Amino acid sequence: MKKNRFGSRFLIGLCFLFLYLPIFLLIFFSFNKGDSSAVWKGFSLRWYAELFRNRLVLESLATTLLVSLLATAIATVAGTFAAIGIYSLTKKWRDPVLVVNDLPMMNADIVTGVSLLLLFVAFFRGWGAIAAWLNSWQSLIQFPTRLTLGLGTLLIAHVSFNIPYVILNVAPRLRQMDANLVEAAQDLGCTWIQAFFKVILPEIKPGIVSGALIAFTMSVDDFVISYFTAGSATQTLSMTIYSMTKKRVTPVVNAVSTLIFLAVLILLIINNIREARQDKLAAKRASFEPVRVDPRAERFRAWLGTPRGKLARRVAAAALCVVFVSTTVFLTAFTTSRPVVNVCSWGEYIDEDLIDEFEAETGIRVNYQTAESNEALYSLLSNGGADYDVVVPSDYMISQLIEEGRLEELDYSQIPNFEKIDDRFKNLPYDPENKYTVPYTWGTVGIIYNETMVDEEIDSWAALYDSKYAGQVLLINNSRDAFGIALKYLGYSVNTTDAGEITQAYELVRDAYERGVFQGKVMDEVFQTMEGGNAAFATYYAGDYLSMLENNEDLRFVVPKEGSNWFVDAMCVLKDAPNYDNAMKWINFIASTDSNLRNMDYIWYASPNKEALEMYPEWYEEQYGEALDPEIYEIMAAPQEVLDRCEMYVCLPKATRALYNDLWIKLGL
Amino acid sequence: MSKELIRLKDVTMTFDDVTVLKDINIYFNDKEFLTLLGPSGCGKTTMLRIIGGFQTPTTGDVFFDGERINDVPPYRRQVNTVFQKYALFPHLNVYENVAFGLRIPRETTYENGKTEKVKLSRDEIDSRVREMLEVVSLKGFERRSIASLSGGQQQRVAIARALVNRPKVLLLDEPLGALDMRLRKDMQQELKRIQQQMGITFINVTHDQEEALAMSDTVVVMNEGVIQQIGTPEDIYNEPKNAFVADFIGESNIVDGIMRADRVVEIFNRRFACLDGGFEKDEPVDVVIRPEDVDIVSEAEGQLRGTVTSVTFKGVHYDTIVDFYGFKWLIQTTDYCPVGSRIGIRIDPDGFHVMKKSKYSGLYGDYSSYSEEYDEINDPTLLDVEEEGAGDEE
Amino acid sequence: MRNKRAWFAFPYVIWMALFVVIPILIMLVYSLTAEVETASGTAFEGSVENFTGMTLYMNVFGRSFWLALVATVICLLIGYPVAYLMSREGPGFQRVAMALIMLPMWMNFLLRTYSWMAILENNGLLNQLFQKLGVISLYNRLTGSDIDHFQMIRTSGAVVLGMVYNYLPFMILPIYTVLTKLDHRLTEAAEDLGANAAAVFRRVTLPLSVSGIISGVTMVFVPSVSTFAISRLLGGGTQMMLGDLIENQFLGGAYNPHLGAAISMVMMVIVVICMLVMNHFGDGEEEAVML
Repeated sequence: MKKNRFGSRFLIGLCFLFLYLPIFLLIFFSFNKGDSSAVWKGFSLRWYAELFRNRLVLESLATTLLVSLLATAIATVAGTFAAIGIYSLTKKWRDPVLVVNDLPMMNADIVTGVSLLLLFVAFFRGWGAIAAWLNSWQSLIQFPTRLTLGLGTLLIAHVSFNIPYVILNVAPRLRQMDANLVEAAQDLGCTWIQAFFKVILPEIKPGIVSGALIAFTMSVDDFVISYFTAGSATQTLSMTIYSMTKKRVTPVVNAVSTLIFLAVLILLIINNIREARQDKLAAKRASFEPVRVDPRAERFRAWLGTPRGKLARRVAAAALCVVFVSTTVFLTAFTTSRPVVNVCSWGEYIDEDLIDEFEAETGIRVNYQTAESNEALYSLLSNGGADYDVVVPSDYMISQLIEEGRLEELDYSQIPNFEKIDDRFKNLPYDPENKYTVPYTWGTVGIIYNETMVDEEIDSWAALYDSKYAGQVLLINNSRDAFGIALKYLGYSVNTTDAGEITQAYELVRDAYERGVFQGKVMDEVFQTMEGGNAAFATYYAGDYLSMLENNEDLRFVVPKEGSNWFVDAMCVLKDAPNYDNAMKWINFIASTDSNLRNMDYIWYASPNKEALEMYPEWYEEQYGEALDPEIYEIMAAPQEVLDRCEMYVCLPKATRALYNDLWIKLGL
Repeated sequence: MSKELIRLKDVTMTFDDVTVLKDINIYFNDKEFLTLLGPSGCGKTTMLRIIGGFQTPTTGDVFFDGERINDVPPYRRQVNTVFQKYALFPHLNVYENVAFGLRIPRETTYENGKTEKVKLSRDEIDSRVREMLEVVSLKGFERRSIASLSGGQQQRVAIARALVNRPKVLLLDEPLGALDMRLRKDMQQELKRIQQQMGITFINVTHDQEEALAMSDTVVVMNEGVIQQIGTPEDIYNEPKNAFVADFIGESNIVDGIMRADRVVEIFNRRFACLDGGFEKDEPVDVVIRPEDVDIVSEAEGQLRGTVTSVTFKGVHYDTIVDFYGFKWLIQTTDYCPVGSRIGIRIDPDGFHVMKKSKYSGLYGDYSSYSEEYDEINDPTLLDVEEEGAGDEE
Repeated sequence: MRNKRAWFAFPYVIWMALFVVIPILIMLVYSLTAEVETASGTAFEGSVENFTGMTLYMNVFGRSFWLALVATVICLLIGYPVAYLMSREGPGFQRVAMALIMLPMWMNFLLRTYSWMAILENNGLLNQLFQKLGVISLYNRLTGSDIDHFQMIRTSGAVVLGMVYNYLPFMILPIYTVLTKLDHRLTEAAEDLGANAAAVFRRVTLPLSVSGIISGVTMVFVPSVSTFAISRLLGGGTQMMLGDLIENQFLGGAYNPHLGAAISMVMMVIVVICMLVMNHFGDGEEEAVML
């Protein structure tokens, strides 16, 4: 048995290597000077410094801790009582309860998350009427008529999936407990309550502790259930990371994780040493060697028994409680301070300093969220879970939202900066009378390619369907764009409603798909892939290309000769927005020339603000001391002749949308 | 005469610097019922495990039928074990537990030197299992699950499971320890019967001296990793080698004495006739007087005179504690003497047993702090260890 | 006295009804209805189209269950030996090993998965390593092909790897727990009865650890079959799984909660049936041995 020790440890070691390799990489790259998770640019602590300035990460970390702590505390208490209760039930009742108790653990997370989402949505729909009725006959408490997903629902969800873990850990302890213990305690004069605290609780304490620990771990690590139940205004760390992984994970997240990891590691090491010491003591006792007790420890223990020691113990316990409560209160305050404006935009679509500036200027907290795509945003809104004031959809989605009556008209008297918007971007087809929108950015869609991987001039969409580039093309993961490009290549309009034409476009994509041309379907993942030189072609937005260029100079951008799509993203306010006036302030702030300049500089998308667009090259030179490459400026703000080749999307009729959807699904299968 | 089957030669066993067995030399004969007897921690279980093959001695050799078997794994030894608390397989029923060993293909060496793995036929397994269940009186329990059996029944399954493999030696590790008093007595008879019926060697480990005396052909008394005495139950009881054996087996009053001459021993400065000899003149010795060998007589008639300090009624007799010149004796007698009365005692020459002085001299045989469970209380090792083991689990 | 305590269960029973049972019932209602436009807005209308139309997604069902199965089997093949070897180590080693297995859970699973992207990319660490070691040129010479990298990311293999990586601890832990609780005397008894190491394992250790295997398999299979983050990150949109499909119906581009609920229901039912069969199989196994 001992001979095989080495081989056995080697195998276990291999398993750990597999488990830890990616983690070491994460930690390693948290010290990277560059912002890539693949290319090492030298040692630096800048991400740790930036961590404390990154609001998104800090806030989501606070939310995660708050929800996990609260959920663990509630679930531990509730689960312990429930376990005692369940254990006292007769078998006839106990078994079905235990089966239902197992359900959330047996069920896939996504089913739990989705079913809770449906419950909350259904409840919120009905709540309006109940609240109105409650408010109508009493005026003591004003019930809000509109509820949304948020911290509350997140907490309920976490408590729900945590309780079973606590029960599962406490129940075996109860089963092991001598049934006569409580009776013995009562026989010796304890009341039932005293018996509970003096006998039951100490007996099942290890179970409670391990249950709480597991619940806390599960809460912190959970992503799926939070994703479905947190709604728009609340984000846990997992959700933040998820939205980042789609684009580019900032090493700030690596830094957070490294810190958490180290903290847990230290706790585990301490615990390990303690346990090892206890084991050694036990072994010594078993072998009848005199146990050498640390005299200091012994004295300390004796001191704890004295009245003063007891007092100290109580004080320490009270202090811990205070710390816990104040942390909770602080975190709550931190995550829910008011007044507020809820904004939903796209990933990396704003210079985040602007948010801070706006907050400093107006005292309004900006709750800045991101959605993945227009379609995803539409889903969020349809769910009724979203609590946004300002959204920034693209043209065609705006017209759909207007059509469905989901947008509120803007009060342009509160938005003086609207004046500065170039007339080219006013009264566009999606909002002909310009009652609902203030443009945010505009741009073109084109081919991004890696010069080193291509040896010909690229000026046509044909390259995307060419077997020559098998495995090197990234298909845009969005039916409208993917089919739109194919339509353009085939010489049709991107807004065609002709099923034949659309099917033809589908066939084109499908054929290329089957020939293995596409490496994958991506949205924001395109950044990482193209920057790392992991694919030769992608279709994406001009502004994003310029961001990528900063990290990989081999990338080129072209609007193909067949033409393309040009788009406008505009700020709109949702119907019944809870913070309408704040929303107006935000929109006005963002529409200013200064904001537009800085946004343009940060995200490389062209501004609709005439002044800003014209000023930009000059401003750039002022800022960086060097002239802006005119080629770059031209890609960002496409000249009119390019725009003439391009078409703007309009909202397609429902039947066409359904066709798009069906074909898209068929493609993915 | 039965032949030698197992021999331990110069066996020493140490665990982490603790020596559990010290220079053990012993042999076991075929077809005998032998008991290793001693207090917990004396090394008897370790010895059993060495024979079973679960432990390899640190130094020394183990022979089976003349062949050295130190490195033969348990599954190749013609030895089977009945484990403490039985170690029955909870996932198998009674029948399958018993059939377990039979279902495993055995390597058989033929005369021409060829070896082959042989699997028993279903029918043979079936007949052997049923036969064995009959031997242990468990017919009809075939399908029962282990959890549904009583302690005694589990014990029988464990025995059947081991014996069905037709071992040459059956090792029993405290087989009756988990049973209640009444059942224990029955099983003692039962085990003896089975041993005679099967005609194989049983090596039994126990700390219960009564059990050892009742069942065994040979008793091996051990303490602190050393064999103290080997002999028939009668020898061990009547001719203990040292104070430890005398005290551990039955009740004994052990007093210091001096051998004045052959067959003359002096205790309490008084000379008595005895049957022992072969000591040097005036050699200090330990003298054992069993409580039942003392007759109470009137004070005047007594060879020694003392005061009764306590009397306990035991059914057949009274346990009477008598103080002789500050040394307390236990006397078992059917006569009742009230506490405080002065009595005299007589001891016949065959009532004395004289032993050479040993390291145990002076440690045992005084009933000053007499209590019924003296032996058990004196035995804290096992309890402590078990509590540790039963501690935490996830 | 017992009855008094039984009341403690009451609040939790209500809580469960509210947040476990009712949501599933609502999901059932959604799955059996469709949204229709009426004069006064939209309303639900009974419909089984969600289920009949699901044939379109048979591939996704097949792929999800297949990949999850492969991942589960791999986890079992790695996890069982590791748990077994660990359970035979000394207590100090075991404690450290346990801590090391729990520890990664504190590193966000999305980040850990993301880290694999950097490893598996065409230009990623592994391909760079292969290039340096000459594996790729060797491969080219052997097969006569001309590649400069192995395609690892955005394949089903990458998705399986992601599942194995993320859920392996969930396989190791329950098996390890069962194995450490296994009475050492039972294996000794089996050895005593003539079983060599292999037979001890097959006849005693393995059957007695079935419960650990079953819970391990459940804990790996269920999240694997329903994952959407792993397939999104490592499968690059080419490996659509049930989780992606469902997510897409609720929070993604193809907004249709009714269909999403229907898919969830079907997935739930299939998973439950799988588990029941497996549990039964586990029991059946025991009975078979008992005969």
